[in-house]
Amino acid sequence: MTALLRTHRTDPAPFLLLAPAVLVMLSVVALPLVFSLWTSLTPYRLTRPETIGAFIGLRNYIRLFSDGAFWAAFGRTLLFLVIALNVEFLLGLGIALLINRITWGQRTLRTVMMFPMMFSPILVGFQFKFLFNDHIGIVNNALQSLGLIDFAIPWLVDGRLAMFSIIFAEVWMSTSVFAILLLAGLFAMPRDPIEAAKVDGCNPWQVFRHITLPFLMPFVYIAMTIRSLDVARAYDIVKVMTDGGPAGRTELLWTLIARTGYENARMGQANAMAYVSTVLSVLFTWYFARKLIAARRTMGGAE
Amino acid sequence: MAAITLSGVVKSYGRVTAVHGIDLEIAHNEFVVLVGPSGCGKSTTLRMIAGLEEISGGEIRIGGRLVNDLPPRKRNISMVFQNYALYPHMTVRENLGFGLKIAGQPPAVVAERVAEAAAILGLAELLDRVPGELSGGQRQRVAMGRAIVRHPDAFLFDEPLSNLDAKLRGQMRAEIKKLHQKVETTVVYVTHDQVEAMTLADRIVVMRDGRIEQTGTPIEVFSHPVNTFVAGFIGSPPMNMLPARVSGGALRLADGTGIALPERLAGRAPEGAEVILGIRPDDLSPVGHGLIEAGQGAEVEMTVEIAEPLGMESLILSRLGGQEVQAKLYGPRFVAPGERLTFRIALDRAHLFDAATGRALEAG
Amino acid sequence: MSARRLKAAGLWVATFLLMLVMCLPGLWVVLSAFRPNREILAKPPIWVPQRLTLDNFGKIFGFGAEQVAIPVGSYFLNSLVIAMTSTVIALAVGIAGGYAFARFRFRGKNAVFLGLMLFRAVPGIALSLPIFMLWSWIGLINTRPGLIIVYVSLNVPFTVWLIDGFFRQIPASLSEAALVDGCTRWQAFWRIEFPLARSGIAAAGVFAFLTSWNEFALASQLTRSTASKTLPVGLMDFTAQFTIDWAGMCAMAVIIIVPALILTFLVQRHLISGLTFGGVKG
Repeated sequence: MTALLRTHRTDPAPFLLLAPAVLVMLSVVALPLVFSLWTSLTPYRLTRPETIGAFIGLRNYIRLFSDGAFWAAFGRTLLFLVIALNVEFLLGLGIALLINRITWGQRTLRTVMMFPMMFSPILVGFQFKFLFNDHIGIVNNALQSLGLIDFAIPWLVDGRLAMFSIIFAEVWMSTSVFAILLLAGLFAMPRDPIEAAKVDGCNPWQVFRHITLPFLMPFVYIAMTIRSLDVARAYDIVKVMTDGGPAGRTELLWTLIARTGYENARMGQANAMAYVSTVLSVLFTWYFARKLIAARRTMGGAE
Repeated sequence: MAAITLSGVVKSYGRVTAVHGIDLEIAHNEFVVLVGPSGCGKSTTLRMIAGLEEISGGEIRIGGRLVNDLPPRKRNISMVFQNYALYPHMTVRENLGFGLKIAGQPPAVVAERVAEAAAILGLAELLDRVPGELSGGQRQRVAMGRAIVRHPDAFLFDEPLSNLDAKLRGQMRAEIKKLHQKVETTVVYVTHDQVEAMTLADRIVVMRDGRIEQTGTPIEVFSHPVNTFVAGFIGSPPMNMLPARVSGGALRLADGTGIALPERLAGRAPEGAEVILGIRPDDLSPVGHGLIEAGQGAEVEMTVEIAEPLGMESLILSRLGGQEVQAKLYGPRFVAPGERLTFRIALDRAHLFDAATGRALEAG
Repeated sequence: MSARRLKAAGLWVATFLLMLVMCLPGLWVVLSAFRPNREILAKPPIWVPQRLTLDNFGKIFGFGAEQVAIPVGSYFLNSLVIAMTSTVIALAVGIAGGYAFARFRFRGKNAVFLGLMLFRAVPGIALSLPIFMLWSWIGLINTRPGLIIVYVSLNVPFTVWLIDGFFRQIPASLSEAALVDGCTRWQAFWRIEFPLARSGIAAAGVFAFLTSWNEFALASQLTRSTASKTLPVGLMDFTAQFTIDWAGMCAMAVIIIVPALILTFLVQRHLISGLTFGGVKG
């Protein structure tokens, strides 16, 4: 028998227990978002407080969607996310499979992998700004000392290289999320189905494709859900490494929001952008959290 | 020490009703076993007695006191859970004494009662261990110890032996029986295992789909099942059920085989009635190898399909009236598949059920 | 060499490279924190440190001869107070919510879970805009409580998720046994379930603490001075200076990293089990 403390539909206990959590989220997140929505429908500027009352409909959004700089940042953000998340997933899967294979020091390796996850993104950004610095960075120093190059590679000064460096930092920070959760999945995996598949004549790739990977999917969803919650932490990394430069070549949606809202004081416009980025993040989380909830249901039934 | 009374007890979850109005009187010091297949509502009923499930309708009284709206702690009952539910962060001693401590008993009393329970169950050596260091049987005993220290009005057991292997289960069954003799208390015991029910119970309550099918002593339920469900559930191997028609004062099986109508039931089976003939394997044996005296009962010829020798007896799978039946051969005799034997049916222990309703004809 | 040994060697090399990439950046920052700035700036590079020194730390904390105009001491205090307070509050809220998820069946459970997650997904910088305006009006801008409240909301969803996972690992029959043994719901929780979930709750607490400790996007807009500025925001102070003080920044980075490393090390095992259990088992 499932031994949940079953309760009547009228039992207020779970709702009372959840009330503080819901209240916090409503007052500190939902309410400001409503306010933000209103602001995005005004020409509000920090320097002219009276403008918050002026309703201008969707004009901010229309201006946004006809703004090349916005679309450039938007596209760059999508590209950044697609590359970073795919690399993180594949690399994380590889690392999990690797660590699952080795027999010694598994636990130590897992602990070490956990550290980048716990680093402040601002620190990760600073760390790679330091490492990739073209004059004093260890990367260039090492390459030059080894005689591989005789000039300084402008890691953070060239647009493409800067984007690469930022993605590198992001991947360095977040691959662990995938690696650790997928490794936990591999540890939790029952041996029997794998052995049965081997007996049934599957080759290693088929075993992986048809047995291991489907079993790992819920763990992939957990990792994706967790990652989806903090993709915007990349703002910190970009902020400290390039601040959107050079010449806006690493400008992501999030840095553009900060620039528009705080530096240019155009709050109405910034809030419209913020809404676009919020919708993007929320859709991302929604997609994977739904998959996660569905997976919970089927996994629960299998027990 | 108290009687437990259930009257019209109902449990529903939204639109689904799990227990449909149960009436049951459990006498003081009686050992009652609720038995049935999974999902029959037996555990739910037990949990309602414990106060772990709200009661949707009806009344439950313990020692005459209405407990419908009392939380578990005010019912003065104790319970042994299927997975024992020992507190993993407490030693055996603390586990045993927890309930008394919560009740505010002075430490001296707690220590004394714990020692008493430990002595009864042979736990004295284990008092300073934590549950993680105990074997399955030991955990089981600690769980029972935790139940007895509080001197409750009633013990509730929720499938306590289902996590043990077969051998240990037999041992613990005996221990539970001994415990009940030592500690006089009302016991309500839930199991899906009819062997446990038969061996432990003063009275068995057979349940199905949230209803009580039959209540009675183990022998009553075994010898006079009220319907085909109880007949098939109680007893192992299960009773053979053969559809038949009453014709010319005899039973005619599906393939035309004729069997005399048991005298005991002759008046209850009118000509032309569609019935089910129930014969326990023990009552269907090759001539000379059964419990039936020569010259009694009916005789049929059957071909052995499979024989399972068990030593002093063998289980024989065969066919009667076009249907698979199980029979029992007593004595160490080898039987080969394909062998044709004459079997004798103990007709005075046979049962007849109405084919449409499944109800026993003798029950009227 | 046999194929098997070749394979083993391959695994070893791959693992070694992996660890190198994982550890080297952090180690280099830590090493640099103990080197004088001119050694870091030296051309050609000085690979082997000639002298390790604590000067950088003394400098940023305002001891010693050389001083930096950055009040790291008060930033540290702000970070500590804000992270600790918001963690304690988030834990209290999260324990209640997580317990509700783990132990009760109720209508709209998945919807509430999804809702919490979606609110958590709002990008920090996007959320900072309305909060910046609202906090300015209420007077919460540039105050510790202002940031604490925001961090509580940042931590609640995840704390609920983790703690739900930890409570679900405890069989419900334990608290039922306690109820039958004479406990009230409240007693059963505090005497049985809470002690058993304690290490998990600690892990959730560490996670919440580090989230607050590490946060930048919101803090950088909602704090202005030593009254509330946290360490990550303080780190950016260095970039505003005329020449970048790499050694000072490295020293400050170490100050931010060390608590994170220690806390992570303490709870890493529980953290994984909480995430996966709550996530996978329904």
